[in-house]
Amino acid sequence: MRDALENAVAEGRCGNRLWLYATYHCNLACVYCLTESRPGIANRRALGREIMVRAATDARDLGFTCLGVTGGEIFMLQDAAETIAELGGILPTVVLTNGTLFTERILTRLEPLAGSVVALQISLDSPEASHNDALRGPENFARVATAVPALLERGIRVRIATTVEDQTEDELSRLCELHRSWGISDDDHLVRSVVRRGRAALEDMGVEPGPMDILPELTLTADGAFLHPFAPTVRHGVTDLDLLVSRQINPLEAAVSRFLRVVADQPVGTDVARNIR
Amino acid sequence: MSRVRLLERDEAPVHARSIYAADGSASPLKRSLANAPDLLETLLPFLGQIFDEGAVDLPTKELVVVRVSQLNACRYCLAAHRPLALELGTPAEHIAVACNELPASSLPAREGAILEWVDRYVADPHSIDDDLVARLLDHVRDDQLIELSLLIGATQLLNQYCTAFQVPPPN
Repeated sequence: MRDALENAVAEGRCGNRLWLYATYHCNLACVYCLTESRPGIANRRALGREIMVRAATDARDLGFTCLGVTGGEIFMLQDAAETIAELGGILPTVVLTNGTLFTERILTRLEPLAGSVVALQISLDSPEASHNDALRGPENFARVATAVPALLERGIRVRIATTVEDQTEDELSRLCELHRSWGISDDDHLVRSVVRRGRAALEDMGVEPGPMDILPELTLTADGAFLHPFAPTVRHGVTDLDLLVSRQINPLEAAVSRFLRVVADQPVGTDVARNIR
Repeated sequence: MSRVRLLERDEAPVHARSIYAADGSASPLKRSLANAPDLLETLLPFLGQIFDEGAVDLPTKELVVVRVSQLNACRYCLAAHRPLALELGTPAEHIAVACNELPASSLPAREGAILEWVDRYVADPHSIDDDLVARLLDHVRDDQLIELSLLIGATQLLNQYCTAFQVPPPN
C-alpha cells in the first residue's frame, strides 16, 4: 500500500497530504462556504482528537508526508490547540482557520507550536475591511489583523489564504503588501478561486471545477473519506456524495485502498490548472 | 417517501456508479444502497450469487422470494418479484398460493414442502421437525436446501431494509 501511494504521488496522480475535516461547526457563515458551516449548526460532525491522531499516525505509516486540517473552524473545538500540537508531532501540518478566535488564552496554548512544522493558514480575502467582512463576516478583518501579528510574535508560522471572487487586481496587490508588512512571504500566500460547490453553488459564485482542476488528496470527514478537500460539500444541509471514496475511515488503509483505485484513473502528471488547493 | 436518499447516478459515490445502467437508471433499492458504497463491494456479489440461478432453478427461487416477501408484507419486494417470478416461469397458480390467494393444498408436493419450509423458517426455525426435512429431501438435495435457506435469509434482509426505509416500489 505504501509503495502504491508513493508511486501515485510521484506520478502526479494525487497529493501527499491527508486532510482532516475537524468539524463542520464554525463561528462564521461565509457566503462561499463549501460546507454550509455556521454558528449553531445542529450536526457538527466533529472527527474528534482520537480519530484524527490515529488517522495521522496511520497516514505516516502508509506514506503520506503531511497533513491538512480544515472544517468548519477547528478552534471551535475545546482541545484544538493540543490536537494540533499532537498532529504536528506526527507529520508537518497546515491548519486552516479563520483566525478570529485567538484569545490570549488560546494564544498561550498555541505557544508550543513556535518553530514547529505546524503552519496556521488564515483566510483573508481583501485588505479592505468592508469587502473582506462582506464575504467573511462582521469584524473578520479586524480580528485577523490582530491575530496574525500575535501569532508571528510567538514564533508560529502563518500563511494567508485568499479566496478570489470579485476582488480587483489592485485590491489583491494591496493585500500582498499587507501580508508582506506582517513578514509573511509571497510563498506563504495562497490565492485560489471560489469553488462552485456547497453554499457557493447556491449563491451562484465561483468556478465549476473540471475533473483535472483539483488534485486528489484523501480527505477524511465524519461522513467518510472523500477525493479531495473540496469534495465533502453540503447543500441544504445534505452532504454531497458524488466524490465520496469510502464510508470507512478507520483503519485508514481501507480508505486509502479505495482512494488509490479512483486515482488510478487520473492521468499521469495531472496538474491543477486553477491552483485549487 | 423513502427514509434514505435515492441517489441519481451523478450524485452517487464514485465506486457506486457501476451499479447504474448506461442510461443512468437503477432500481430504488440500488439507488438507496449507493449511499454505502463500501458495502456494495461485497453485498451485490453476495446477493447476486444467492438470487441468481445456482443449484436451484430460478422459478423455484422466485417462488420462495415471493413467499418470504408476502410473509413480511414487503411492498417493495412483492412489487419487484411477483412480475419477475411470472417472467421467469414460476406458474401463476404457485405465485397465487405464495400470496395467500389460493390454498396451499393446490400446490404439487415439492412446492408445498418448500413453502412449508419457508413458512417455518421465517416464523420460527425451532418449529422445523425431522419429518419436514425428510419430506423436503425427497424433492431437493441438501445443498439445494441450503441454497434455498440462504435465499430466505437474504430476502428477509431486503424485506426488512426496504420496509424500514420505506424504499418506494419500482414502477
